[in-house]
Amino acid sequence: MEEDDQQKATDLVQELVLRLLSQNPQQTLNNPDPNSPAFHKTLSYAIRILSSRLTPSVSPDATAIAESLKRRLATQGKSSDALAFADLYTKFASKTGPGSVNNKWALVYLLKIVSDDRKSGLNGLDSSVLLPNLGIGGDGFLTSGEVKKSNNGVLLVSRDPENLRDIAFREYATLVKEENEVTEEVLVRDVLYACQGIDGKYVKFNSEIDGYAVLDYVKVPRATRIMVRKLSELGWLFRKVKSFISESMDRFPAEEVGTVGQAFCAALQDELSDYYKLLAVLEAQAMNPIPLVSESASSSNYLSLRRLSVWFAEPIVKMRLMAVLVDKCKVLRGGAMAGAIHLHAQHGDPLVHKFMMNLLRCVCSPLFEMVRSWVLEGELEDTFGEFFIVGQPVKVDLLWREGYKLHTAMLPSFISPSLAQRILRTGKSINFLRVCCDDHGWADAASEAAAASGTSTRRGGLGYGETDALEHLVTEAAKRIDKHLLDVLYKRYKFKEHCLAIKRYLLLGQGDFVQYLMDIVGPKLSEPANNISSFELAGFLEAAIRASNAQYDDRDMLDRLRVKMMPHGSGDGGWEVFSLEYEARVPLDTVFTESVLSKYLRVFNFLWKLKRVEHALIGVWKTMKPNCITSNSFVKLQASVKLQLLSALRRCQVLWNEMNHFVTNFQYYIMFEVLEVSWSNFSKEMEAAKDLDDLLAAHEKYLNSIVGKSLLGEHSQIILKSLFVLFELILRFRSHADRLYEEIHKLQIRTKESGRERNKTQESSSWISEGRKAVTQRAGEILQSVSQDMDNIAKDYTSSLDSFLSLLHHQSVDLKFLFFRLDFTEFYSRQHSKG
Amino acid sequence: MPREIITLQVGQCGNQIGMEFWKQLCLEHGISKDGILEDFATQGGDRKDVFFYQADDQHYIPRALLVDLEPRVINGIQNGEYRNLYNHENIFVSKDGGGAGNNWASGYHQGKGVEEEIMDMIDREADGSDSLEGFVLCHSIAGGTGSGMGSYLLETLNDRYSKKLVQTYSVFPNQTESSDVVVQPYNSLLTLKRLALNADCVVVLDNTALNRIAVERLHLPNPTVAQMNSLVSTVMSASTTTLRYPGYMNNDLVGLLASLIPTPRCHFLMTGYTPLTVERQANVIRKTTVLDVMRRLLQTKNIMVSSNARNKEASQAKYISILNIIQGEVDPTQVHESLQRIRERKLVNFIEWGPASIQVALSKKSPYVQTAHRVSGLMLANHTSIRHLFSKCLSQYSQLRKKQAFLDNYRKFPMFADDLTEFDDSWEIIKSLVDEYKACESPDYIKWGMEDPEQRVSGEGNASGVVDPKMAF
Repeated sequence: MEEDDQQKATDLVQELVLRLLSQNPQQTLNNPDPNSPAFHKTLSYAIRILSSRLTPSVSPDATAIAESLKRRLATQGKSSDALAFADLYTKFASKTGPGSVNNKWALVYLLKIVSDDRKSGLNGLDSSVLLPNLGIGGDGFLTSGEVKKSNNGVLLVSRDPENLRDIAFREYATLVKEENEVTEEVLVRDVLYACQGIDGKYVKFNSEIDGYAVLDYVKVPRATRIMVRKLSELGWLFRKVKSFISESMDRFPAEEVGTVGQAFCAALQDELSDYYKLLAVLEAQAMNPIPLVSESASSSNYLSLRRLSVWFAEPIVKMRLMAVLVDKCKVLRGGAMAGAIHLHAQHGDPLVHKFMMNLLRCVCSPLFEMVRSWVLEGELEDTFGEFFIVGQPVKVDLLWREGYKLHTAMLPSFISPSLAQRILRTGKSINFLRVCCDDHGWADAASEAAAASGTSTRRGGLGYGETDALEHLVTEAAKRIDKHLLDVLYKRYKFKEHCLAIKRYLLLGQGDFVQYLMDIVGPKLSEPANNISSFELAGFLEAAIRASNAQYDDRDMLDRLRVKMMPHGSGDGGWEVFSLEYEARVPLDTVFTESVLSKYLRVFNFLWKLKRVEHALIGVWKTMKPNCITSNSFVKLQASVKLQLLSALRRCQVLWNEMNHFVTNFQYYIMFEVLEVSWSNFSKEMEAAKDLDDLLAAHEKYLNSIVGKSLLGEHSQIILKSLFVLFELILRFRSHADRLYEEIHKLQIRTKESGRERNKTQESSSWISEGRKAVTQRAGEILQSVSQDMDNIAKDYTSSLDSFLSLLHHQSVDLKFLFFRLDFTEFYSRQHSKG
Repeated sequence: MPREIITLQVGQCGNQIGMEFWKQLCLEHGISKDGILEDFATQGGDRKDVFFYQADDQHYIPRALLVDLEPRVINGIQNGEYRNLYNHENIFVSKDGGGAGNNWASGYHQGKGVEEEIMDMIDREADGSDSLEGFVLCHSIAGGTGSGMGSYLLETLNDRYSKKLVQTYSVFPNQTESSDVVVQPYNSLLTLKRLALNADCVVVLDNTALNRIAVERLHLPNPTVAQMNSLVSTVMSASTTTLRYPGYMNNDLVGLLASLIPTPRCHFLMTGYTPLTVERQANVIRKTTVLDVMRRLLQTKNIMVSSNARNKEASQAKYISILNIIQGEVDPTQVHESLQRIRERKLVNFIEWGPASIQVALSKKSPYVQTAHRVSGLMLANHTSIRHLFSKCLSQYSQLRKKQAFLDNYRKFPMFADDLTEFDDSWEIIKSLVDEYKACESPDYIKWGMEDPEQRVSGEGNASGVVDPKMAF
């Protein structure tokens, strides 16, 4: 039966070939002779193809092929043919059972291929190579034909004798042997060596091309050569990684590789040991000979170059990554290294991602440990300078500002700058508490923070990828430790009280104290600075404290208040050099640094000067106070002298009023718009401050606002000068006014005396007595000169004030407030508009 | 070394308002009726030694002299709750106890008689001070003792303590109701002369206005003397807060008064206070802001001096100076805003011959006295409309004088024995004071009184403010 089938199939093929040949346009003969040698040759060629092992690359689906055939016919306009085909195909497909075609798909496919071939093969191709173009024949005639089914979709129309294939393979093997001087097994082994950085027999490191390659003289096909070259890239990479590790190891500990570097090496080493394992397995496999294609593989565990390339697919990705990292990290250390590695971790490939995560977890663990101990213990465990925070030995008062710095180069990019700042501050706070505040309560705060963030205070609680946890830890720690720090500063070191004390004494808030100090120090300060001993002044200061409400103040604060004599030249008066200072002790000297204190000093000097001017004006008022003037009538004076006196007094009073208006309103401005407003803002910010930096910033703002608004800023130097001119004028006015009142007083006494004399002698005519005349005459002269002086001062004052006010106009908003006060009734605006 | 201030309470009225004043100070400083510091009064910040001194046993004793020519009021004090507060050596009651009979001349004369005794007491107090700043005299100007003896004391103090400040709280009589003291206009005029010449600052407490405020603002139909006095003590204690709670400015009386009184003769101050409450009176609680307080202080209805001015004159009246003492929790930034508003709305008229402004002093409130209001304010103002009060005194005096009524009572005493020039003298002085205030309303005040007397048109001060230079002092 089988014989029969075979024969039938052969017949059918013969038939098909015949048909195709007969329709071949190249063929001259319309009816080829079935027995001609040409026909036989063609036939055997067809059979050879059919019995070959070639398989089509499409999936075996008979229906799909039939459909596509049908569609093609339809699109070609041969709809009747398409219908006929469909009909035939249905019949063909429904035939089952003995005698029918088993491998229907293969058959239909063959026919389709033949048809396609015929259509496209009209381009004059070598017909000896290709099948002669076979025309499409009717398909139906094969329905009863029998085609031998084959395995795995390989069309096996006919079975060749076994040895035919063997012969082919043998031929191939010899061909391969002819082309290759070395066997693949050897090459595989060599490649494996190369991948461990060792030169093989044929595959050696070539420094010219910087890579492993098959030796030039060894004859291998180009494809193999390329393949080996590709595979041994792994070796090149390995060499790079390996040498990095060993170099780093060698340098350690003499040179500073750093813990992060070590961790990186260790992580790489880990990866390499995995790689070694793989290589070991592969080497074992490489022992198995590579079977020929024909040999049904006795063992599948052999290694060919191709198999190797599959094996190497994953390691090479990792190794490439490692090599890239090694390259990047060669010159880097610590945080910078971690940061560089982190840059490569953002990868979509899950393989790479996972690999990088592992690596980073190792690399970052020392870094995170540093963060942890810094944030919770304030310890800078950084022997190799890898941490992004660096400490430097400084004096205690500079610890906060300069003791620790962020080393941005060492800041890994996965830690944001703001987080880094917080980390820096938290540890700094701990150190500040420990060193400056002599406080130990922070430890509780730290452990509380650790508990709250769920991190144990032990080492290694954190790792890369847990940035959230890190952030949480830092946040918790910062919150508690900064709060604790502020608590310590506020409660134990009375920060606010000290600020208030400074406000009271240096900013003259304690009026009674300032007044008394002015009273007792004033006369002394009028002497040249060289005559004044600061010891004496210190005594005055103490007296002023005892006499005023300052005596009830905290002794600790009063003790910090000192007299400071500024450096002075020989010509300086006491007023120029006297000043008060407030001693800031640890830890408050962090806030009240020398530059801060020098600013306070400037403000004090300014306010003191202002007070002095006020004091002078009040002094004038005291001498001209109402009942000194009003209680004495000068009825006995000549009318003209009296008028003179009246005019001098009026001028003096009006000028005094103007000056006093200026000085008091300036003081009100200083008090409300400068001191109190700044203080109330500062208090608010102090309440809101979360850490020492906030507090420092708030204090800085407070002080700067005072300095700026008190015309002590850089932009107000001109206006300040013009203000001092006014002050000078007022002080000059005082001496003239004093002289005026002194004369008036003398006059009063004289007239009184002469009045009494008159009463005694009962001489009513003494009105024109010599003495009286002389008195009035002298009085007239003096009054005239004083009036002139007053006029001059008034003139100077008006012009100076005018320039001051016009300068004020161009200043900032705050100084507009001052102008508003000075010109509340628009007196000056009116004067200005008048001319 | 505080700037001590010695208080002299003279006469019935002076002692009554003085007593209220000390009561108020004791409350604010946490000092008990016996002068012992209360246990709760530890918060400090206040300066008690301006008005009190401490005895050997730590008792706080007021720097006060209680002086009267009749014993009734002082006996009341000596038998009252605060009897242990005062230093009994500082109490002076005339031995005959007959009083001054509402006669200024009697009071003045008796004052002269006991000068030595009283000056001894004053000297003793002054010696007990480290740096005496001045004296405060509480009195009324209409009666006999406060006015007459007070006048004598003013002259003496001016002479003996010429360098010290003399401030008075002078109660002006209620002019709306007929007084039982018919010679009130005489007494007032004579006292006014001393206030004009011998005092540095007079805080005018006008009973007419106080009565009006009590009736209209506090809705008390018949205010008692005690209620009126509590208004006065409120003003007195408020005007001294900056002395008692030291701050950046206004820490002494000179500093406080100097800016208020730029020209020596115009030293009469008006006061205003808001929000007003009287003890044990539940008042409507209003929201109080700095602006509210400052605005209300400028309303005439809150001012404790009746204006007596006709509309036209009132519109020309000007402030020479204003000091607002604001007590309570105040945001300093509100001060500027309030000043701005007040200027925008043109709520104040200031003098035009010099710069002026509303001064605002912020002061602490006593932590020991609970008030319903967050912010309260006192205004001390030098306002030209006060001249109408003096004019009224002058016209009332003139009416009486024309009739030559009751002058015999005065002629009994040496000063008036020969002639009544003292009256004329006083009249002229007050008249020229009125003129000077009027001149202050003009922008040309600076030139006022400077014209050569020969070139003057008439001897009478006219609209341009020319006055006999003789009177200008």
